[in-house]
Amino acid sequence: MSVTNLLENWSQFRHGHPVDDKPHEEYKWAMAIDLDACTGCNACSVACYAENNIPVVGKEKFNAGQQMHWMRIERYWPEDGREFADQGAQFLPMMCQQCEAAPCETVCPAGATNHTADGVNSQIYNRCVGSRYCSANCPFKVRYFNWYDYPSTDNVWPAEMTQQLNPDVSVRSKGVMEKCTFCVQRMTAAKNTARNEGRLVRDGEVQTACQQACPTNAISFGNLVDPESKVAKQWAHQQVELSKEVQAKDAQEGGTDLRGYRIMEELRLYPSVMYLERVRESAI
Amino acid sequence: MSQQHILALFNNFENAEAAIYELRAADIKGFNFDDLTLKSPIEHHEVEDLLGKRSANVQWFTLGGALLGGLLGFFLISGAQANFFAQMKGGKPIVPFPPNFVLTYEMFILGGVFISVLGFLVCAGLPAKRSPLYSAKVSEDQIGILIKADASAMAKIKKVFTDHEALEIQEEAGK
Amino acid sequence: MEKDISESIAWAKINGDVLKSLEAPRKLYWVILVAALTLFGVGLGCEVYQYQIGMGVANLNNPHVWGLYIATFIFWIGMSHSGTLLSAILHLMHADWRKPIYRFAEAMTTFSLMTAGLFVMVHLGRLWQFYYSVPYPNERGLWPNFQSPLLWDAMAIFTYLSSSVIFLFIGMIPDLAICRDHLHEGWRKKLYTILSLGWEGTDRQWRNFRVTYLTVACFLIPLAVSVHSIVASDFAMSQQPGWHVTSFPPYFVAGALYSGCAAIITLFIILRYVFRFEEYMTLPILKKVARLTFAISMVWTYLNAIEFAAVWYSHDQAAKDVLLQKAMGPYAPFWWMMIFCGSVVPLMLAVKRFQTNIPVLFAVSLLLNLGMWLERWMIVAPTFSHGYYPWTWDGFQWPSWVQWGMVFGSFGWFTLLFMLFCKIFPSVSMYEVKEMVYHRSLASKKNELAEKGAH
Repeated sequence: MSVTNLLENWSQFRHGHPVDDKPHEEYKWAMAIDLDACTGCNACSVACYAENNIPVVGKEKFNAGQQMHWMRIERYWPEDGREFADQGAQFLPMMCQQCEAAPCETVCPAGATNHTADGVNSQIYNRCVGSRYCSANCPFKVRYFNWYDYPSTDNVWPAEMTQQLNPDVSVRSKGVMEKCTFCVQRMTAAKNTARNEGRLVRDGEVQTACQQACPTNAISFGNLVDPESKVAKQWAHQQVELSKEVQAKDAQEGGTDLRGYRIMEELRLYPSVMYLERVRESAI
Repeated sequence: MSQQHILALFNNFENAEAAIYELRAADIKGFNFDDLTLKSPIEHHEVEDLLGKRSANVQWFTLGGALLGGLLGFFLISGAQANFFAQMKGGKPIVPFPPNFVLTYEMFILGGVFISVLGFLVCAGLPAKRSPLYSAKVSEDQIGILIKADASAMAKIKKVFTDHEALEIQEEAGK
Repeated sequence: MEKDISESIAWAKINGDVLKSLEAPRKLYWVILVAALTLFGVGLGCEVYQYQIGMGVANLNNPHVWGLYIATFIFWIGMSHSGTLLSAILHLMHADWRKPIYRFAEAMTTFSLMTAGLFVMVHLGRLWQFYYSVPYPNERGLWPNFQSPLLWDAMAIFTYLSSSVIFLFIGMIPDLAICRDHLHEGWRKKLYTILSLGWEGTDRQWRNFRVTYLTVACFLIPLAVSVHSIVASDFAMSQQPGWHVTSFPPYFVAGALYSGCAAIITLFIILRYVFRFEEYMTLPILKKVARLTFAISMVWTYLNAIEFAAVWYSHDQAAKDVLLQKAMGPYAPFWWMMIFCGSVVPLMLAVKRFQTNIPVLFAVSLLLNLGMWLERWMIVAPTFSHGYYPWTWDGFQWPSWVQWGMVFGSFGWFTLLFMLFCKIFPSVSMYEVKEMVYHRSLASKKNELAEKGAH
């Protein structure tokens, strides 16, 4: 009976997140992107297109703003009137930030996007009705909508190209929302292997497509619950603690540069992606 | 004795009021005052004192419906949230109060309105077949008084009607 | 100035005049009907095209995920509110001048809600799966997400629509009985016989009728307020700059009453001419509606100013940028037009001469509604083009002809439903006009007696 279930597990159902008293149990997937290492080469974006069967919409639709790049390289130019603005170019790889308190999740009328047990923001294509409220409420605008039925559009995957489609990833039909999944198909495969062998996933066992393709190793990905993982170490040592007035981490013995931050932390979304960059006046 | 219907039509409310007043005072044998029905093109609530206490109970339906709607709303929604994949959304609790309050409020009103209307149909006895004597004039501008009484009382009732300038009197054929 | 409804008007004449509206309207009626049908056809065609090809044909894109559909949805929801204002709020306040015009206002509520509902549908990317966001028990144990303001919307609109239909119907029962009794034989007579539920106007029926009508009216008022507050919550509960504004719910409610009152003036003038209701929809009533509209327009102007001031002084840079963009960016022409139509044009209504001038009022009411439609667009669109994230600041995304087609089609659909309603059902409440006349004559009799007593 639903009401019995409701009353019996009342305190569990009234529990908010993220709070300290109930952290993630086995996995909490997270990412760190070193912007000082990023050269803006777009390899991550290309790898993402290949891995996740993202439709290539063509020039015309791109001009209409209907591109589907889950992973995008944003370019920012300085506006200080310098002669060659490109010299001050800064790059920012941007994908779904997998927020712990994601604004997209609460507003979906069909419940098609949820927070999973291992700390990822999931998207259920089958359940999506296409109200696009999630995208409207996403501060980063990293959700992409299938404006057309891409699998049946001619120039998206020309004949031979269909051969390279990833069989582990479903192809989305028109009218559904999609976004970066942290390569959930790879995580699931690794978790299955680990479960069969009676252990947890080891650090480095899962790589996201973008991480794998990055020539400068700017992206690291892993399990934040495991204190020995590279990501967990980066988060522990390099993240600026916004709740503290004076930052003490980097002054400690063996401390590194304190250059980790998450985008728009003032909105209290608790993203799972940390960017590493020295805070500075200008890029040069 | 067999019961018969009689309908009188009046040109204005004053005449009909006077006729009802006299009928109440007259104490005619074989005629119960509660069997008198006033038919009018508009509502006359002046008549309530005259007809005595004939209650309207719709408000109890309303109360019941609204409470039921609200309770059903809250438990249906919270129960559904608890039984659905108990997955977090936006860091909010699985059973969050503010949204559930909004929905409970809407269900409260929905229940109130629906059951009130049900109450109206029950209390007003609708839908119904029309009573044996009916004149379309009532929906235009005349006031009708319909009485069910023993055949023996008919003559006296009829006299009261004619005394008060009834325009037309219809009688049911005797059985 | 023309006279108000005369006290000496015969009740049989009231029946006759109103029933005539069901028989032979002026030619203009058929012109409007055909035009409405054509417009609706255009809208339908656009929807079929969009359904087949995909939402992309609407020229929406990544930051601009909502376009005119949501803006027009709010517009129609707003339009529905003044029906409730006239029928419920003024009913409780015993304003008897509302009696000849509330029926069509209530019908306007119902049909504009139906139109708004269509926009929720055409806006969905997968229209064929719309039932995923409806709570219904199913074998998979799946439910929609009750946290989503869209679901509150659905619930509120369902409640409001069904309650409005019920309210409209209940209030019409005595009139349906009149139609049943006095109309010639035909399919409509059968329809009225069924719908009037055997109403005879007995004291028992009237007594329960009054209590029910009052009760439903009492429910409708908070309901109407909640409906548009919830629509405002679609925006206010989000996190986006320009939407996340505390004053949105009252602002939306004021805007709703405003556009609704303006629409009532438009339809008043059309109905009065088309169905020859000059004797019932009198100029003094129009004057009262015009004054009401003026008052509400000033409330709206105030709340608008409050919103801008709040954004400005809050020093929330993102929200401030959105406001600046509205005033000076690509949306500026529309935004200033909205200010002009919404806050400057209604000043005309303050002039006594114009309050009963039908051509002026007709033009003003259309401009007001244009302003209110622009207001909704200016709420929805600029936030997308200038949100939190700088990379998505891409200015302007002009809606394609598919969107415009559906916006105009919705006006056709609404007019079609409304005009059919007015032809099939009495759009002036006969029994309430009689009540009005009766109570006025009682009051004047009382005055005469009092004067005689004084002599």
